[in-house]
Amino acid sequence: MMAVLEHLGLGLAVAFTLQNILFCFIGCLIGTLVGVLPGVGPVATISILLPVTLSLDPTGALIMLAGIYYGAQYGGSTTAILVNIPGEATAVVTAIDGHEMAKKGQAGLALGLAAIGSFIAGTVATVVIAALATPMTRLGLLFGPAEYFSLMIMGLVLAVVLAHGSLVKALAMIVAGVLLSCVGADMETGRERMTFDIYMLSDGIEFTVLAMGIFGFGEIFKNLADPEKRDVMRNRIGRLLPTLRELRENFGAILRGTGLGSVLGVLPGNGAILAPFASYALEKRLSDRPQDFGSGVPQAVSGPESANNAGAQTSFIPLLTLGIPPNAVMALMVGAMMIQGIVPGPQVIQNSPDLFWGLVASMWIGNLMLVVINLPLIGLWVKLLKVPYRLLFPAIVAFCCIGLFSISNDGAQVIMAGIMGLVGFALYKLQFEPAPLALGFVLGRLLEEKLRQALIISDGGMGTFVTSPLSAALLLIALGALAVAVLPSMRKSREEIFTEA
Amino acid sequence: MMNYTRRFMLGVAAAALTLTSMPAMAQDYPSKPVTLVVSYAAGGGTDAIARIFAARLETALGGRVIVENRPGAAANIGTDVVAKAQPDGYTLLIGNQGPMVVNPHIFRLRNDPAETLDPIAMIADAQLVVVAGPSLKVDSMQALLDKARESQLVYGSAGNASASHVATLLLGQTAEVKLKHVPYKGAGPAINDLLGGHVDFMVTTVPSVIGLIQDGTLKALAVTGKDRFPGLPDVPTVAEAALPTYSATAWYGLLGPKGLPQEVRDKLAAATQEALADPAFIESLNKDGGVPSDLVGQDFAGFMAAERARWGEVVKAADIKVE
Repeated sequence: MMAVLEHLGLGLAVAFTLQNILFCFIGCLIGTLVGVLPGVGPVATISILLPVTLSLDPTGALIMLAGIYYGAQYGGSTTAILVNIPGEATAVVTAIDGHEMAKKGQAGLALGLAAIGSFIAGTVATVVIAALATPMTRLGLLFGPAEYFSLMIMGLVLAVVLAHGSLVKALAMIVAGVLLSCVGADMETGRERMTFDIYMLSDGIEFTVLAMGIFGFGEIFKNLADPEKRDVMRNRIGRLLPTLRELRENFGAILRGTGLGSVLGVLPGNGAILAPFASYALEKRLSDRPQDFGSGVPQAVSGPESANNAGAQTSFIPLLTLGIPPNAVMALMVGAMMIQGIVPGPQVIQNSPDLFWGLVASMWIGNLMLVVINLPLIGLWVKLLKVPYRLLFPAIVAFCCIGLFSISNDGAQVIMAGIMGLVGFALYKLQFEPAPLALGFVLGRLLEEKLRQALIISDGGMGTFVTSPLSAALLLIALGALAVAVLPSMRKSREEIFTEA
Repeated sequence: MMNYTRRFMLGVAAAALTLTSMPAMAQDYPSKPVTLVVSYAAGGGTDAIARIFAARLETALGGRVIVENRPGAAANIGTDVVAKAQPDGYTLLIGNQGPMVVNPHIFRLRNDPAETLDPIAMIADAQLVVVAGPSLKVDSMQALLDKARESQLVYGSAGNASASHVATLLLGQTAEVKLKHVPYKGAGPAINDLLGGHVDFMVTTVPSVIGLIQDGTLKALAVTGKDRFPGLPDVPTVAEAALPTYSATAWYGLLGPKGLPQEVRDKLAAATQEALADPAFIESLNKDGGVPSDLVGQDFAGFMAAERARWGEVVKAADIKVE
């Protein structure tokens, strides 16, 4: 414990130099901006800024790039809550209840809770990285393809819990999401599946295209078709900051989200994606009013937002301890380190302790800065809703189109998102939830990838999923959760039959 | 007669105009920004090399060079974009091993790079490294192959048809051992499973594992090029250690649409050579396991043809063609 404090002390000394505080601030500010702009993600921003970092000192450069990453996670929730456009997979959950809260006139409260939850999560995750980086790394290595597959199965079962309407409709959406994730070249043979010879489909559908289409454009169609509901929302803005009582009510959710996020963030292959979904499912299960989830429950925002932020931060662990990037942003960080002549890997802690601990400590400072940057801005963001919709929606569409085009410098992605928007509107009209679809889509890819890998390794033996204790345990949890989810609804439908009779 | 002459004169004038204006255009090159297409998303290895190269090329050419990422369809979309562009030297491609010489054997391509692109100059040749996971407990290339003969080994790769995959295919075919392939999406997750003991070994790019090698977590058994890698001087080549005929490298080159004016090609080839002479550029290439190349024009085209034939046989023997 003493060693941890000593290390954090060293880190704080490095991070608290004027220069590094400035880099941290610039990073957080840029990150918040690209996060708020739909479609312009941290990956594009960091790769554009990478050449600039060449001339900077390595610690400062990494502090700035890290700031962009978690700043973007932060900014992403703002857009998700205000206009229902989750720019990143992790913001899908925030959009569900967050946007409902905004519609109820609680946009300020939702943004405030997200900011405070993220700050607490960031603080805890910083300590986790400092104290537990090495054991957490070992946990990450335990997850081979079989264990990962079972984790994804558990994730999909959790997706059922996301729905607050019909169970059958939720299942249909999950399956549709998994099917959409299968579009594109087969990972093993390269054979094209469901691409209809359309070239842009051969690498599969981009998540951003799906999310912006179904959520973003879909929401715009919905609002244009239904102008009255929208006006109600515009006229009520509500408080900006949560009361002490509200904070107390959300404190448990924030802590549980932080715990889930910290663990899932360490897993290879972007396990952090699961964190907000898992947190949502957990909060719904623990709540005494689970039926209200989906109509604007504060805990459904604060929990997942904390999980999201904690996961974003602990996903630095595999990068810092092994040099293995768990997601695209971390891969860019590897590039940034290489440019600076630092070889990412286990020896970074020994060879450049000031860089390692400086970066870790800067994350905490960065989280503090994000609160400072964002809390005063909440008022400004919420005022955006006061802008007449006839002016607001063309602006949203324009920003979305720029973001979509920038994915691969190709207009085809914009067209595809437009088609997805029609799909999203149709789903709304037919009363299907888009969130389980998005989760099915995100997890579907990993699910297939890990299933195929596990089966190649085991020569096709399905036993591999139960002989590994970790995998078997995860499958059991999934089975249990499924039973719990299915049984009450069966009971309920029986009751309904009885009352009608 | 009068009519004929007038038409004739007009024709001559037009021809003269074209003749004089063509070289003038090539001489002015570049008079507007040059777009350098990268077939991968921003942030990858090829993108990093392209961006460093673009900065050097700007200085050598004396005009703006803009990197444009056109990812998709196993890096074949970038090939198409450049193949369909005007052959005026303002749209160029960073072509690498996969899309240039491996993909034609695997995918149904819209534009065959050998027929629709003009090779200008090779930029760099990068070797890969064979690493064994901690659970396998082998300390030499020969020991790895012996183990593979005893029981089938499992290897991870950065993806189907990636340099990491085809280099391992060639390794298995040269040594005449059967190996089991597990494709991953990128080197990162594959290395994670290598460390966790879920796969036995891997052939991967130098920067992806150099830290783990230096730390002793992963054992580097051999490098795949013809010469040892300066950053890992104690690691033998595969050829030295076990298989004398073996060599596999990933490479990068500059290409343009078919039909580039000779003067533009010469100018670009000279500018590439100038860029490659920059010590800072060489150093950043070295970090990626690469060395600058001096192959230009026809020599580069010949190299590509030989690579294409060679990998064609490897792919055919492994039977990974997509219908």
